Amino acid sequence: MIAPGHPRSIGKHVPRREDPYLLRGEGRFLDDIAEPKDTLFLSFAMSPHAHARILAIRTDAARALPGVVDVYTAEDMARLVKPIRTVIEIQGYRASSRTVLAQGEVRFVGEHVAVVVAEDPYIAQDAAELIEVDYEPLPAAVRLEEADSETAPLVHEDIPRNVMFEAAFASPDFQSAFQSAETIVSETFRTGRVAGVPLEPRGCLALLDHVADSLLFYTSTQIPHLARTALSEILDFPEPRIRVVTPEVGGGFGTKAQFYTEEVVTAALALNLRRPIKWVQDRREELLTSIHARDHIYRLEAAIDAQGRIKALRTDLTTNAGAYSSYPFGCTLEATGGARMIVGPYDIRNYAFRTRAIATHTCPSGAYRGVAQPSCFMAIEGLMDRIGRKLGIDPATVRQRNLIRNEQLPYTNVLGVRYDTGSYEECLRRALERIDYWNFRKQQAEARDDDEVLRGIGICCFTEVAGAGSGGWRVRGLTKVPGFDSASIKVEPTGKVTLLVSQAAAGQGHLTTFAQVLADYLGVKVEDVFVSEGDTGTAPYGTNTFASRGAVAAGGAVIKAAQSLRQKIARIAAFLLDVDVERVELTESKAIDKENPEKSVDFRQVAQIAYSMTSVALPQGESFGLEVVEMYDPPLATWPNAVHAVVVAVDRRTAKVSIEKYVVVHDSGRLINPMIVDGQIHGGIVQGIGEALMEQIVYDEDGQMLNANLLDYLMPMALDVPRIDISHIETPSIDALGGFKGVGEGGVIGAVPAVTNAVADALAKTGANINRLPLRPSYLLREMRRQQAGMDGDRQ
Amino acid sequence: MNLAGEHLIRSPKLAVWNAINDPEVLREAIPGCQELHKKSETEFDAVVQVKVGPLKANFKGSVRLDDIEKPDRCVIVGEGQGGVAGFAKGNAQVELIESQGATLIRYNVHAAIGGKLAQIGSRVVQGVATRLTLQFFENLVARIEPADARERAEGAA
Repeated sequence: MIAPGHPRSIGKHVPRREDPYLLRGEGRFLDDIAEPKDTLFLSFAMSPHAHARILAIRTDAARALPGVVDVYTAEDMARLVKPIRTVIEIQGYRASSRTVLAQGEVRFVGEHVAVVVAEDPYIAQDAAELIEVDYEPLPAAVRLEEADSETAPLVHEDIPRNVMFEAAFASPDFQSAFQSAETIVSETFRTGRVAGVPLEPRGCLALLDHVADSLLFYTSTQIPHLARTALSEILDFPEPRIRVVTPEVGGGFGTKAQFYTEEVVTAALALNLRRPIKWVQDRREELLTSIHARDHIYRLEAAIDAQGRIKALRTDLTTNAGAYSSYPFGCTLEATGGARMIVGPYDIRNYAFRTRAIATHTCPSGAYRGVAQPSCFMAIEGLMDRIGRKLGIDPATVRQRNLIRNEQLPYTNVLGVRYDTGSYEECLRRALERIDYWNFRKQQAEARDDDEVLRGIGICCFTEVAGAGSGGWRVRGLTKVPGFDSASIKVEPTGKVTLLVSQAAAGQGHLTTFAQVLADYLGVKVEDVFVSEGDTGTAPYGTNTFASRGAVAAGGAVIKAAQSLRQKIARIAAFLLDVDVERVELTESKAIDKENPEKSVDFRQVAQIAYSMTSVALPQGESFGLEVVEMYDPPLATWPNAVHAVVVAVDRRTAKVSIEKYVVVHDSGRLINPMIVDGQIHGGIVQGIGEALMEQIVYDEDGQMLNANLLDYLMPMALDVPRIDISHIETPSIDALGGFKGVGEGGVIGAVPAVTNAVADALAKTGANINRLPLRPSYLLREMRRQQAGMDGDRQ
Repeated sequence: MNLAGEHLIRSPKLAVWNAINDPEVLREAIPGCQELHKKSETEFDAVVQVKVGPLKANFKGSVRLDDIEKPDRCVIVGEGQGGVAGFAKGNAQVELIESQGATLIRYNVHAAIGGKLAQIGSRVVQGVATRLTLQFFENLVARIEPADARERAEGAA
């Protein structure tokens, strides 16, 4: 409960505490940490082949280079560490393990085959270039369409047909519902492979504390606690003696929510050589080895009635897992995510899916912002437009007819997942209004065939799975992902408050938002709260930062901890004020007597007693200190929802797409800091625009990556980003403490389908069927010309 | 990567054929060639320094001549390892056509590149290959046309 008299901090545009030091260039990122003088540096030799047998590795020339300390191959590393094995307890998953350096065989371009340890990073790189490896190139399974076949080369001998994971589901009445429907609308959607591309690549620094024989491990990660547990198991080194610290992290986007082989190598070599070891990757290494995502094929079939209502939906999803199951989410995350989330905000009562993850000789895939939701909503929202076109019903109307209605909430979807609250109809209504939808349609109908510019409008209605608790991760077999988060509050002897949160921010503004939450729930001034996280030496254990879980899981933990600590503060204050505890209210770092508000004691006075630093003794029965730790396990998931609506103009001659109008109506429950929420949405939309219009990791048919650099891997720039009109609806969650629903991924989830649909709508009058990403001019022109040629052919 | 073209050399076909089978000539004509040795009648070992965009590497490779129909046509099969810079492999169908004392060399190259070369160089590699090919022929012309003209002059004398 928040004290009625307390001036609220939640819901306010509190300026980010992070901004002043970040904007002054004072943020301390991994590479800003001063390494000790005796630090050694690593450089990895990478495979130039997608698939090859390693015949011999000659390291003599590398070792002979002055400044090189040692060179390790897989055989050497095998003596120091165990392979990484991703455990996922779900039917249909075939586990594979990965050695930290390739052993005997390489399975993707960029896989590490040896590592050089040298006195400076430049010598290490030079030496890595001197390592000679004899390879026997083998046929590679690169593209999803080719790897998914009986005759494809196998990525792992023990994984038949390259199927790393497969699962299926059908609701009880699916067959009869599907067969009895009047019309079937079907489409295949192909999304493009992309990556998170954080501004700061990955890196780590391992230091030994010789006195305690412990490991201090700095790493640019989103998951310090999970990384510590993994390190302990793989290194066979006691967990209490490992302290993982995340410095400032320059972007994560899920890319850094995985635990990587280089982290193991860095820590293992520090322990083995008893020297500090540092490794920082460059951009090419980042693009070659950090997880990729979104290489998906969706085949959808919807059985619909004459009004465009979906009576039954069937999804067949194939995802590209890459060469190994990444840790801890493995190859199943995108496959289960896309198949399970696709029903979204729609009242679909009959549903069946088959979903698979296929191994290929490419970089492993993993959890990139939005996971499979940008692609699954691109598929279902693309299908909504096609239903409209087929029946001659406006696609906005098709959506209105299929949405879960307000009176149906709380709603349990066809997969048994509960949506507690939401605003699906209201978001769509308001988005259509703000983008002036019906006027646009009128003008579009009046557009002439010889206009140089084609205009289209696209909509995406979606839910975002967020804040998943232990149940949410178990359902998807991810039993190594705990699901809870925690908060530790200390009111220090001086009355100021330290809040330690089991999170690791990568730009989300946690130092600000968690201070706001604590301020309200403990009745303390926001400026009296200092937030710290990302250090396993101080912060309590938790699931860390990914999957839009911070506000929900850690926010809930802060609330729980505040509620428990305020009891004790109130008891001591009641003793000091000489009133009943029920009369004590905590507000603005003071405890006041509700019936006589002039009478108050401040937190400092209470703390002085709690820490026995005053003449007044602690009341009998109280324990010393003002400290509490609480864990919070959120529900299966919380369900933010939103609608994105976009108007685009496509140049008929060049097929260049410009975004003319962008509207977002968003509901992520109760907002902690609307400015930070808007920032999350903006950032997500920019990544979504990139994914829809330009970004793509390109492998050629031999598995060579052709654009492992930022000249050739095209990303959106300021000029590609339109003005974004965001409005909020706040429907608090009733299942999650605090009513927060999470917001980390909504921007990208909404942007990819909305932009795609807008471009497809613009081109619809040319007859082009747009169902692949990215929407580069070359692709759009080809589709338009193909239609033109077809029409000319028909006329003759 | 595919590369096709033709180049006219004002020397008779046999002279051209002999030149492109002569390690001495090739060593001078191949841009960046550091070493070139004849292993057998149809095989060469070579070290060639190539610069593609930001990459500079010594490619150690071997070249073999297949399907030889002296002096009309052959297929040159080659592969080179550039260490961390990556690798290149490919083949070139070469045809020599004589007309009025000059020889037209017609070539059709199919090549694949890998490793760093592909990752950061694929956008520029075609341009580099075209330029190197042109330079090779210019070097070849510079080497064999005067020599051939000299021989002919000597023969006439």
